[in-house]
Amino acid sequence: MRVYKISKQDEKKLFKVLEKFGEVWLPVKKGGKCTFSRIYSEDRLTFSQTEICNRPLLPLKKLLLPPEFNTLDFNAERYNRAEQNVPSRVVVGSHACDIHGVNILDKFYTTDFIDPFYRERRKKTIIIGTSCEPDEYCFCNKTNTNIIEEGYDLFFNDLGHYYLVWVGSSKGDDIIREGDDLFDENITDKIIGDFINWRKVNENFFTNDIDFYGVTDLMELKYNDNELWEYFGDKCLSCGQCTMVCPTCTCFNVIDDLEVNKNEGHRRRYWDSCMFKDYSMVAGGHNFRKTRAERLKLWYTHKLKAFIGQFGNPSCVGCGRCIVTCPVDINVYNVVSRLKGQEKELIRK
Amino acid sequence: MKDKPSLGVYSFTGCAGCQLAILDCEDQLVDIFSAANVRVFYEAMSNNDDDAKVDIALVEGSINTDEQQEELKAVREKAKILIAFGSCAHHGCVQAMANGDGKWEERFKKVYGDAEFTVAKPMETRPLHEFVKVDGWIPGCPPGASQMLKALTQLINGSPPTYTNSAVCLECKFKENECLLNKHIMCLGPLTMGGCGAPCPSQNMPCVGCWGIIDEANHASELKKLMEYGFSKEEILRRFRLFGGSDIVDKVSELLEAK
Ligand code: SF4
Ligand code: SF4
Ligand code: SF4
Ligand code: SF4
Ligand code: SF4
Repeated sequence: MRVYKISKQDEKKLFKVLEKFGEVWLPVKKGGKCTFSRIYSEDRLTFSQTEICNRPLLPLKKLLLPPEFNTLDFNAERYNRAEQNVPSRVVVGSHACDIHGVNILDKFYTTDFIDPFYRERRKKTIIIGTSCEPDEYCFCNKTNTNIIEEGYDLFFNDLGHYYLVWVGSSKGDDIIREGDDLFDENITDKIIGDFINWRKVNENFFTNDIDFYGVTDLMELKYNDNELWEYFGDKCLSCGQCTMVCPTCTCFNVIDDLEVNKNEGHRRRYWDSCMFKDYSMVAGGHNFRKTRAERLKLWYTHKLKAFIGQFGNPSCVGCGRCIVTCPVDINVYNVVSRLKGQEKELIRK
Repeated sequence: MKDKPSLGVYSFTGCAGCQLAILDCEDQLVDIFSAANVRVFYEAMSNNDDDAKVDIALVEGSINTDEQQEELKAVREKAKILIAFGSCAHHGCVQAMANGDGKWEERFKKVYGDAEFTVAKPMETRPLHEFVKVDGWIPGCPPGASQMLKALTQLINGSPPTYTNSAVCLECKFKENECLLNKHIMCLGPLTMGGCGAPCPSQNMPCVGCWGIIDEANHASELKKLMEYGFSKEEILRRFRLFGGSDIVDKVSELLEAK
């Protein structure tokens, strides 16, 4: 893998380079919230782990598969795939956990069956990851998603007054070539020392004491612990927010909307959640998961267990979004804690 | 091509805003009037045929008098399909916010004194389904264009309207809003049927529940959370009742006991 160094003084100059590859996007603070936004000038561009806001409210999936979109225009005679007009994008500022999340989406949407809508957007998205300073909610160190080896095109590690840049794909390499004069290929022992030291310092940021060890087995063993799931089921508001913000939730619904008196319609696709009652309803009105407790069990089985059988890893990447989002504090930390027979809770501030 | 279905729009106690919401769909108005044979629609036209039998009746407003009860029953008899159109018809809306508290007569006296009623006998307000069979509803105060047009199209094409069975929070998250509940603001999004597009939280205003209560609403849990945030049980229940209409009445005593 090729590695380069770029001085922080030169980072703004990269805007012109990146623009040649597509719209430039970055997590930006807007009215208090952090959200992936398009930026239009070099002033806002940064790769700095202290300047880029942490944990965009919606993860990268919002760009790879928008919350709702039209897939098909139809009438009684014919149908056409709806034009998606997907722009090429360069998304800066994804952290390791979120890129792991994208890798999971890639597996889900492009392995057994290929989702053309996902694939098109994914192909047109260049991912430039950046290093981060974990906060009290992050626990990617426990889910083994704090280090990322694939899925990005470039990855910027913030080593103080310069960045150490990993190249992860040929597109990433193209960007380096385009900005040739800004990148230095000479990686000295001093730089390597800086990097090792930075790793250690960064690891110390993790304070989340979630005990992830053996969780998959516990999910299996406590699958029928109704008391545990009812405890959370009583609290759950069925609001679905956990699903919307989780980088690895993939479920969607498809419905047809007809136009009044025009004999034409549109097939709309939008994010769905297994926390909604109708999610598990089938023809004839039978519902597999009538209670909130049953639905929560499904959600957490999917995060902590089921994905392993399918793709080899659990699908929780430790981003902490469920912790900061659920209004009634149902989150991976608190579920794991109860699975372990403990009562300690992590509550968002 | 099969015959156009006939449509009637009828109104009881409310602000008439639901009818206005149809007229507000300027781009689709011609389509609506071409797709259906509109026989009654006082807010929109002058040639109304009150006796017409209709395939679809959209009924706006809640029922406040004995006379309205009879009129509603007459509409029911004329209509193949009767739709409760908007919050008033569907669950009673704001005029039902004190329903079930047993003080209706007291309040009534305070406002009207000993006035004698000759035209009709007033009563505590009620949604349509308490008097006649309702075949479906279109939620909202007033209904939103996209959901209403969808329902109208389904009805005109002979299928029942489908509902959004997710809470307002789903659309709120589509808009990437920070959750107001987490900022200790009394937002009723999780208790409220979606479909409105979450305009209120998107403007930093809490949802007050005007689309009506969703099947899966967990009032007890939200009540508990809001009390933790320092709201009194009384003010929370007042808010729950604001648009909770007749649907919340059964739950209130249970919630009053919750600690
Ligand atoms: S947890 Fe639920 S919503 Fe998320 S991907 Fe799994 S089944 Fe779908
Ligand atoms: S389950 Fe929670 S911590 Fe894990 S990836 Fe999803 S939102 Fe992040
Ligand atoms: S677990 Fe929390 S965020 Fe998820 S549906 Fe239940 S209340 Fe909402
Ligand atoms: S702000 Fe209100 S509507 Fe939006 S997610 Fe929070 S509770 Fe739901
Ligand atoms: S957000 Fe709530 S109050 Fe606002 S329109 Fe929707 S249902 Fe009504």
